[in-house]
Amino acid sequence: MGVEALAESLGQNILTTTLGKLIGWGRGNSVWPLQFGLACCAIEMIHTATASVDIARFGSEAMRASPRQADMMIVSGRVSQKMAPILRTIYDQMPEPKWVISMGACASTGGVFNNYALLQGVDKIVPVDVYIPGCPPRPEDLLNALMILQERIKAQGITPRQ
Amino acid sequence: MISDNLIVERGVSAGDAWITIAPENVHSALGALKDEGYRLLVFLTCVDHLADSSGPFPARFEVVYELRNMETRELIRVRAFVDGDPPRIDSVHDLFPPANWDERETFDMFGVVFADHPDLTRILMPDDWVGHPLRRDFPVGGEVVEFSEEHETWQTAPEKA
Amino acid sequence: MTTEIGQGITVTKTGEQGAFGGELLTINFGPHHPSTHGVLRLIVDLDGEQVRRLKPVIGYLHTGIEKQAEALRWQQVVVVTDRHDYLSPPFNNLAYALAVEKLLGVEVPPRANALRVIMCELTRISSHLVWLGTSGIELGASTMLMYCFRERDTILDMNEEISGFRMHTSYIRPGGVMADATPRFLELLDRFCNQMPGNIDEYEALLTMNPIFRSRTIGIGRLPAEEAKVLGATGPMLRGSGVPWDLRKSMPYSGYENYDFEVATSDLCDCYGRYLVRIKEMRESVKILRQALNGLPDGPVNIDDRKVLPPPREELETSMEAVIHHFKLFTEGYTVPAGDAYAAVESGRGENGCYVVSDGTHKPRRVKFRSASFVNLQPLERMAMNHMVADMVAIIGTADAVLGDVDR
Repeated sequence: MGVEALAESLGQNILTTTLGKLIGWGRGNSVWPLQFGLACCAIEMIHTATASVDIARFGSEAMRASPRQADMMIVSGRVSQKMAPILRTIYDQMPEPKWVISMGACASTGGVFNNYALLQGVDKIVPVDVYIPGCPPRPEDLLNALMILQERIKAQGITPRQ
Repeated sequence: MISDNLIVERGVSAGDAWITIAPENVHSALGALKDEGYRLLVFLTCVDHLADSSGPFPARFEVVYELRNMETRELIRVRAFVDGDPPRIDSVHDLFPPANWDERETFDMFGVVFADHPDLTRILMPDDWVGHPLRRDFPVGGEVVEFSEEHETWQTAPEKA
Repeated sequence: MTTEIGQGITVTKTGEQGAFGGELLTINFGPHHPSTHGVLRLIVDLDGEQVRRLKPVIGYLHTGIEKQAEALRWQQVVVVTDRHDYLSPPFNNLAYALAVEKLLGVEVPPRANALRVIMCELTRISSHLVWLGTSGIELGASTMLMYCFRERDTILDMNEEISGFRMHTSYIRPGGVMADATPRFLELLDRFCNQMPGNIDEYEALLTMNPIFRSRTIGIGRLPAEEAKVLGATGPMLRGSGVPWDLRKSMPYSGYENYDFEVATSDLCDCYGRYLVRIKEMRESVKILRQALNGLPDGPVNIDDRKVLPPPREELETSMEAVIHHFKLFTEGYTVPAGDAYAAVESGRGENGCYVVSDGTHKPRRVKFRSASFVNLQPLERMAMNHMVADMVAIIGTADAVLGDVDR
């Protein structure tokens, strides 16, 4: 009799899942952004971190300044010719798995400025996972992009995109 | 008082007073204006008059200085036309310290060489950049936008675009 | 001994001895660092913890705005003017609009001037809020960021109400403003003017008599008045050293002579003095907003010249001339008489101006932006000399430089 009760209680108290889903859930809900604020979009990124649009409730509480401790780079702002090698160096310094959100029109495609001084899109030097259009995008747009990225991370499981 | 023999021409444009001086006299002219009370250098820049139909202009590059007198609240614009390859003019950083970075920027963007400048290097473009971006014969650059009116001529000088 | 530390920057070590016999250490406050002031790079020579030499390297945000403006039509340039000093878009728009209006020889109606003043003062407050929030969090007072950005969200909601954009409004254009103020905007503004003084009291309660804040800012970053004038500083950098120079009072524009406000100055010449100046400026801005709101004149918000501004959409259904004007304006654009003009405004950082050269065509020949931040960064070496590394953060913050404006 004790064994049946034990088996029943175990069925109610133990979850089974796959390792991939568990790891994906953990990674997705604790994406730490690297603050790569360059220009105007950076101010909207700061708004996302403040109280009314709180990004911390999505797990991105710790906006790290050091690439060694971050897993997502939010490129917010225009990337000039002088800044491009530095952006690539910082991307290389981030440990795997890492993702990139290109925030704003300038980071995605060069934006309003189609000239000699800017990279026409940061995807010319780093692989981008989510693009956010807007000049600058609302803080809620950044949250939306983060949620899209989270779905993708959770679906990837143990081995993320190489 | 800035002596009249330094002034080549004077005039008023849209309510702003301006004088033109010869480029060799820029140091003495600005020094005289500074003694007169125009102690703030508001900006220093250059205008490229290549293929400018509103001319005629004495030379291609016009170096423009704007000075402000904080006591009498007046502004005056000093213009000096320089030519050459590269165009040369004296530096005024000893009279007006803010000119230090302004002259570096004008050198970077237009190629105007300022004599006696302590550190005339590129300030906005990368150090190994070739060309002077704000000259009119330097193309705007960027990517060609398909089906735009500038599609065919985007990579060439702006006045052809 | 000369070494190349990348990016074409060479550093020459002179093998100088520091105060305790060690060599000077050169470190890089790289372009990517946690201060949110942008991509500024400083190469600092340290003797132990003290700064002996400082060289700012800029250009990491160079956007080619001045070149871009030469490839755009006169009315399209307004859009790129928003984006160089990205914390004060209406000020940049206003400088450009005033310069073009000087060349066109037009005067905007009084209601347009009042709306321009309202947008500018709202932006001055929002720019100072960003400065206060980020300076606070850099010195450790992280609550400041949350409080300041809460108010800034209110201001951005007002921006959105009147122009549709939160930040880069492009609201002020040559010839007037983009659209009239809606009743909801005026209601939000009224509520804001009532609440803001209380919020500024909150910020002061947190910081002004706070012993940690005071010890990190009093005596730090001294810039005496004579040096500030010689180095060409404007704005709170100059007023924080006791010089009462404010373009809104000294060379008024857009109807500022009709408003009653004081110029904020401080004789302390240090970071704390500039903090007091900016707080006082926020209070004075609320006063100006209240006066502008109460005295908002009636009338049109744009000049009545169809060769410069497009006709209202309703007219396109009935009038052929309106259609022709609309077509001409949106294909070729208007032409501005040949000449040059300079107009300056007092932005949150200092004198932001626009020098426009026209050659009589539908595109500008040269648009030069006189940037307050560009000039205000030059005293940085003077202010940081012999201070500790930790004070560098306070000093970069007090200069309140927006790198978009510095690099354009």
